[in-house]
Amino acid sequence: MMTLFTTRRGANAALLAFFGAVAIGAPAMAQQARDPGAEAFVQTKAQRVISVLANKGISETQKKQIFHQAVDELADVPRITNFVLGKYARTITPDQRARFAPAFRTYAENVYQDRIDDYKGEVLKVTGSVVRKPGDVIVNTTISGGQISQPLPVAWRVLGGGQTWKVVDVQFKGVWLAITQQQDFVSTIDNAGGNIDVLINQLQKGQGAKGR
Amino acid sequence: MSLSHLDQSARQKAAGGRFVAGLTVAVGLLALAPAARAARQEPAEAGTVSANDPLEGFNRGSFALSMGVDKVLIGPIAHGYMAITPKPVRDRVSSAVYNLGEPNTVINQVLQGKPKRAMRATTRFVVNSTVGVLGLFDVAAKMHLPRRDSDFGQTFGYYGAGPGAYIYVPLMGPMNVRDGVGRALDIATDPVGAVAGGISTDFGKARLGVTILDGRTSADPAFHALKDSSDPYVTARSAYGQYREAFIRQATGEAEDLPDFDAPPPDASAPAATSKP
Repeated sequence: MMTLFTTRRGANAALLAFFGAVAIGAPAMAQQARDPGAEAFVQTKAQRVISVLANKGISETQKKQIFHQAVDELADVPRITNFVLGKYARTITPDQRARFAPAFRTYAENVYQDRIDDYKGEVLKVTGSVVRKPGDVIVNTTISGGQISQPLPVAWRVLGGGQTWKVVDVQFKGVWLAITQQQDFVSTIDNAGGNIDVLINQLQKGQGAKGR
Repeated sequence: MSLSHLDQSARQKAAGGRFVAGLTVAVGLLALAPAARAARQEPAEAGTVSANDPLEGFNRGSFALSMGVDKVLIGPIAHGYMAITPKPVRDRVSSAVYNLGEPNTVINQVLQGKPKRAMRATTRFVVNSTVGVLGLFDVAAKMHLPRRDSDFGQTFGYYGAGPGAYIYVPLMGPMNVRDGVGRALDIATDPVGAVAGGISTDFGKARLGVTILDGRTSADPAFHALKDSSDPYVTARSAYGQYREAFIRQATGEAEDLPDFDAPPPDASAPAATSKP
C-alpha cells in the first residue's frame, strides 16, 4: 500500500492542494429562514444544561436537582407528555393522565439527562436553524469539548415565538427522542391490548426495561 | 519473483475481479434504482406504530438472541476494552477504522454524482493515511475536510429506493432490504479489502474484529437507551429507521417530514402494528 502512495505522491499532493482549496473555499450553505430568537433560546438554555452536566465539581444528586429545575425552562413537558402517547392521547382518561404525567416526567428527566450526559460534551454551538412553519423551528447545534473527539450534531425542535420558546424534541445522530419514545410507548400499549395502565405501571415501577 | 509475490499477485487479481464484479452489480442495480422510487415508503402516520416489519415474530426472537449474546459476550468485551483504554486511544482506533472505509465513501459519492465530495473524501484518505499515520489521526478534519460518510445503502436511497422490509439479523443487528443489499455491496466492492486483503487474510480478520469492537463501543450509548425503553425491540427499530433515513437525507438534502406535535391522530382503535407492503 505504501508503494502505491509513493508512486502517486505527486498526484496526491496536487489533489490535496486543489481539493483542499476547494473545501476551504466552499461557502457554507446558507440556511433559509433562520430564526434568531429560537437560536438564542437554545444557545442559552441548552448550554446551561450541558454546562451543569459537564461540571465535575457538582455531585450527581445536585446535577439531578438542577436538571429537574432546568427542564421546565428548557422543555415543554406537558406537550411532550401528550405527544408520546400518540393515538392514545385522545383516549386516555383524566385519571390515567393524572398518573401518567408524573411517572413520565420522572422517566423523561432521567432519560434526557442520560442521553445528553452520554456524550460528555461541554460546549454547545448553534450552527443554524430551519423554520418548518411559524413557531416550529429546528435549531441545529454541535456539542464539542469534553470527551467528544468529533463535534456531535444535535438538533433541537422548539415551538413558540418571539423570545418565548420551549424544546419539544432533541435529535442525536438522526434519532429524535420524543418520536422514538412515542413509538416505544404506543407499541407497549398496543401489545397490552390498548391498556394504558400497563405502560403507567411500567414507568412507575422502574423506568422501562431497566426495571424489568 | 518469489512464490509469495506470485501468491500475493494472484490474490490481488482475484480480489480485483471481485471488486469489478461487485462494482458492475452495483452500477446495474443503480440503473434500476429509479424504478424503485415508486416503492419508497410514505412517512408513518404520527402517533401510530407503522413499520414495514412482516417478519416481526422472527425479528423479535433474533433481537432477543442478539441482546443475550451482547449481555454475556460482546458487551463485556466492549466494556473491558473501554475500561483499559483511555478515550483518546479509542478515538484513534475509531479514526483508523473509519479511514479504511473512506475509499468506499469515494465510490458511492461518485455514483451519486458528487465529484467534489468524492475528491474531498479522496483527499481525506490520502492525508489521513499518510500524515495521519494510517488513519490514526484525523488530520484532514483540521484542514476543513470533515467526515462525510457514504455507503451503498445511502446511494440506493439517494436514487429513490425505499427501505423495504425491516429485518433484525442475528448477531449483526438491525437492517432493511435496501441497506442489507447495500452492505453486501460495500463488502464486495471494498477497495481496501481488494488491495490489502479480505476476510480470508490476517489483515481482514483483524480489521473485522477491530471494526466490531469499535462499532459496539461507539454504540454503547444506544444500548443504554434500549435499557431505558418499554419495548426495546420497537425502540431499536424506530431508531435504526430514523438513523438511516437521516443518513440518506445527508445525500439528498431533503427536508425531514416531522409529525405535528399538537395533533395526535384520531384513530386510537387502529391495529396494533400495521405493515406496509
